[in-house]
Parts: sequence; C-alpha cells; structure tokens
Amino acid sequence: MKNFILRTTWLIMFILVFANLFMFISGIVLSDEINNFELKTDSLRKNNLTLEKEAANLGSLKFAQEQAKKLQFTNSSLPQSLDKLGYAYRP
Amino acid sequence: MKIKLVFIFFILFYLAIIIRLFFLQVIYSPANKTPYLKTNKLNPIRGRIYDQKNNPLVLNQNSYQLYLEPKKIDDKDKLTHLLSDSLEIPEASLSANINMSKYWVGVQSGLTQEQKDKIDKLNLKGIGFDYQTKRFYPEASLSAHLIGFLGKNEQNEDVGYLGLEGFYDRDLRGLPGFVETERDIIGRPILIGVQQRVEPENGRDLVLTIDKTVQEISKKKLLAGLDLYKAKKGCVITADPKTMAILALVCLPDYDLEKYYLFSEDYYKNSAISDLFEPGSVFKPLIMAAALEEKKIKPNDTYNETGQVSVGEYNIKTWNDKYEGKISMTRILEKSSNVGMVYVGEKLGNKNIYGYLEKYGFGQPTDIDLQGEVSGYLKSRSNWYPIDYSTVTFGQGIAITPIQMIRAFASIINGGYLMRPYLVQKIVSENKVTEIKPKVEKRIISQLTSEIIKKMLISTVENAEAKWDRPKGYIIGGKTGTAQVPIKGHYDPSKTIASFIGFAPANDPKFLTFVVLYEPQTSPWGSETAAPLFFEIAKQLIVYYNINPTQ
Repeated sequence: MKNFILRTTWLIMFILVFANLFMFISGIVLSDEINNFELKTDSLRKNNLTLEKEAANLGSLKFAQEQAKKLQFTNSSLPQSLDKLGYAYRP
Repeated sequence: MKIKLVFIFFILFYLAIIIRLFFLQVIYSPANKTPYLKTNKLNPIRGRIYDQKNNPLVLNQNSYQLYLEPKKIDDKDKLTHLLSDSLEIPEASLSANINMSKYWVGVQSGLTQEQKDKIDKLNLKGIGFDYQTKRFYPEASLSAHLIGFLGKNEQNEDVGYLGLEGFYDRDLRGLPGFVETERDIIGRPILIGVQQRVEPENGRDLVLTIDKTVQEISKKKLLAGLDLYKAKKGCVITADPKTMAILALVCLPDYDLEKYYLFSEDYYKNSAISDLFEPGSVFKPLIMAAALEEKKIKPNDTYNETGQVSVGEYNIKTWNDKYEGKISMTRILEKSSNVGMVYVGEKLGNKNIYGYLEKYGFGQPTDIDLQGEVSGYLKSRSNWYPIDYSTVTFGQGIAITPIQMIRAFASIINGGYLMRPYLVQKIVSENKVTEIKPKVEKRIISQLTSEIIKKMLISTVENAEAKWDRPKGYIIGGKTGTAQVPIKGHYDPSKTIASFIGFAPANDPKFLTFVVLYEPQTSPWGSETAAPLFFEIAKQLIVYYNINPTQ
C-alpha cells in the first residue's frame, strides 16, 4: 500500500513536471509566434501604405501629365476638338 | 536518503530562481530592462480623402523620426559627418543639436523609408527610429485650400487645420486603441499573464463631390488667367446648380501642402469662403428674379433710360454713361444698366429688397463643410439709407463671399431652391457608409420665375456688348460683374473685382461656374477678363462632360 502511494506520488509529480515543462515550452513557442505575427502585421501595414502610395502615383494627373509630355502628346496632337471637331473624328 | 536528495534538488532549484529574479529585478540595468507590463498606444490611421470618382487626394505614408541616444554614441564627429550627408543638414547645426548629457535627442521627423534604409546601412551606434505616418498628396497641391493641412497642437498631437482637414478633424482622426501585455525579458508576451487589447478605430474616409479633372481644369485655367490679366488673386468655383455639390473650388495663390509651414498665414486663407467682396453686376439677376417673383415687373416691360438717376445727393450712371431710351427688363441685364436696376429696385420696394437679401442667405454662413467660412455682412435694416437700396440692386454696398454668391445664383436657375453647398458626399468608416444628401434650405422663387430669369441670362450672354469666343452650338447663360474696391470710404476706379457667373447647357444646367479676379491690371472689366476665362473653362467642361451641342 505504502509503495503504491509512493509510486503514485512519483507518477503524479512526473506528470506535473512534464505538463509544466510542456506548457512552459508551448508558451514560449506561442509567444514567439505572436511576436512574429505582430512583426509581420506591422510590416504588411507598412507595405500596404507604400503600395497604396505607388498606385495613387500611377493614377495621378501629375503622372499622366509627365507621360503625355514624355510621349510628346501635346506636340503631335491637337485636343481642341470643340472648335476643330475634325480632329476628334479623324481616324 | 532519496527524500533528502529531492529536498536538496528543490532547494537548489528555488535558489536558482531567486538568484535569477534578483539579477533581473535588482542588478540588471534599468535602462536596458524591457518593461514587465507593457502598455502601447495603438494609433489609428487617419482617414483618407477621395474625389467623387474615388481617386485619392489625400493618403497616408510611412514616415520615421530619427533620434539619437547620445550616451551610446562612440564617435560623435563621425556620426554627425555621416548623418549630415544623408539628411542634408549642415554638420555644425547637427552637432550643436546633440547634447551628450541627454539620453534622447530627436533629430528629424518625416523621413521616408528610403532615407531610413540609407541611414540604417551606415551601421551607426546610438541612433534609432520612431515610426510615424504622415499625409501624402498624390495630386500635390491641386486642392490646397480645400483640403487644409495636418499640423500639431500644444500636446504634439496631429490636428487638422482649415479646409476639410479642419472641418472633419474628428471624423478623420479616429480613436486610439491600446495594448497591455506582460512581457518577458526579451519582450515576448507572457501568455498566462495580463493580455488586454483595445483595437483603435481608424479615421473615417471622406468621399468628396469634387471631381479632380474639373479641379485640374479650373486650376490650370485660373493660373493662366491670373498671368494673362495680371490679377492679384482669383477664384473659380464650379458647382452642380441643382444640388450645390461643389465640383471644383480653386483660389490662387495657394500653398504647398507638403511644406505649408514655409508659407505665411495669408496664403492659408481660402478667398472663396473667407474673403468678402462687393459683387457688382453679377448681383443684378438676383434682384431681377425677386422683382419677377413679386410680379412687380415682366421681362418685356420697358424702362425709359434717359440719363443719370439721382438718389439723394448721389448720381447713379451706367458703366459707359450711355443711355438707350426705352429698353426692356431683359435689355437692362444685357447692357448691365445700373440706372435700369435702380428702377427695378424701386418697383420691388425697399422692404422686399431687404427681405430677398435675407432669403438669399446673405449675412449668414452657407454652412459649407469647410473650416474658416465667414458669414458676410448685411447690416440691419434700420441702418440702411435710401442710397443703399439703390446701389444694392447693382451689387454695390453689400459684402458677401464668393460661395454665398454662387449659392444664391444657383437658386435662381434651379427652380428657386436655396441649397446648402457641400463637399463631402460620403463618410466611410470600417463598417458603415454615411451618405450626405443635398439639402434644400428654402425655396425663394417659383419654377416659372426661374425659367424666365434663365432665358434673360441666355439673352444676356448672346446680346452682351462684349463679344466672347464662346463654344459654338451651346446655349450658355450668365452675367458679368465689375465692382470697384472701396478704399477708405471711397471707391478706387483703378482697382476692381472682375467676375463672371455662368451655366451650361442653359436648358438643363450641368455646371455653374463663378470666376472672380481681384484687381486685374490689363482691363478693369469683368467682360474682358473673367468672362473670357469662364468661356475657356466652359469649353473644356463641355468636352469633359460630353455635352451635345443644341444649336
């Protein structure tokens, strides 16, 4: 009987020690994951802002004007279609 | 024996823990210690601003503040030399800024990601970066006065000033959240400890009634107009006359939104809502419409224009001191006859004149959703002299803002409805979209009167004394205005405010545009400065809106 209690106590102790160890290690692993996710979320948020900025730049009138200038749009075509409607319809 | 061993094992185990705790909590340098209970403020992202087609006008971008920890700097000279190169700050001023007795010194904020990466590569000891966001304007200063800017208050918090940033600051700002966590020595969260997180509520986005293309056309043409007519400043306001949704609002000179702090306060003022002016002849249609509504006159009634008119000790004359004899009410507008308008005013009566000025909303703010609007000045009726009732019929002796003028004018061409001008049509939060509908303040004139005055205004453009390069095939209504500027109780004939207000297509107006030029030098007349500028803008808007010719 005495042996049984002693063994059971040891067994419970071992289980508790291992359970504690498991929880401790799991906690550390989860903490690391949380930390990583926090960093990744932060990085994604920053990337989002950068991409939003780039997309807005590409859709801006400023960019369109730069492109028009680069492609010599203003020199090679006359967008005065109201007074000279022929320009608008010319193929 | 075994029990003793276990006992000793536990004693040693707990001793090790106690020593470690003593090391961490007492001996370990407090400067390097990660706070056990870490509370971080989670800053909300400020709301963005879009035009009516969801093109961004204001966004947020990543930004960093560079700081130094002087106690950790190895070589101050090397650090200042390298940083001054990267930041383009003079080495001497950077060096003077570094106080070696301090723990923390802020160096420069507003650094871009590229600048941060460049400095990171220098591998300098004792430097660090704080993350921030700052405003980004994809269209640069296209709408500087409209948008306003983001500055700081006394607590160093972001606050919107002027324009939409000022008016909608509470919506754009959002609510900060916080996160409170127990952290271990290297900053990892302790899962069984306190974990509390309240998410921030990001600022609401604004979707405007502004169309960035109309805004661009207005700004470009106004800039060219100021240059051509050598005007001191100017404004162009374009609105949908049926709803008073503002499609474009530009006043020049304006300022650079990115570097607003380099400009004096005078540049921040949005003349369209904050400057008072005497409107001059653009005001005439308002009085004419009131007289028509009260059935005191009919468009074909005649007035015998024989010469100057005396009111008390004052003589009122036409702009060129020429008189045509019998003329119709429509002709009064066509030739912009001041004496004719005095006749209309007399027919309408003093009480009605004052009553209609109040109905048109003069002396009251329009409640446009922009910070910085002034209400104008309408003195109480007991202070009005007989001459005031005469001069107000042709737009002198009353001080109004351009936004009040365009709102009142919209009411006479949209069927008589005085609308609240507005710029924001949608407020978008994370889970809700609030739509802002056009608001009718009151009805001033009937549909019939509105149709009559529209025809008179079409005739005014077609039979005006000045001939303009109008878009062919389109019916346009409008009125010129030239107001002298009062200086020290007298009008200075050399300084005028030239204006034109017009709408197209006249049968079903798509846009109403008001052009004001302050003190043009090439000609004092609205017909020779503001009117041609209006038609330049109208031509482009007609193409942009794909409006078919009707003639």
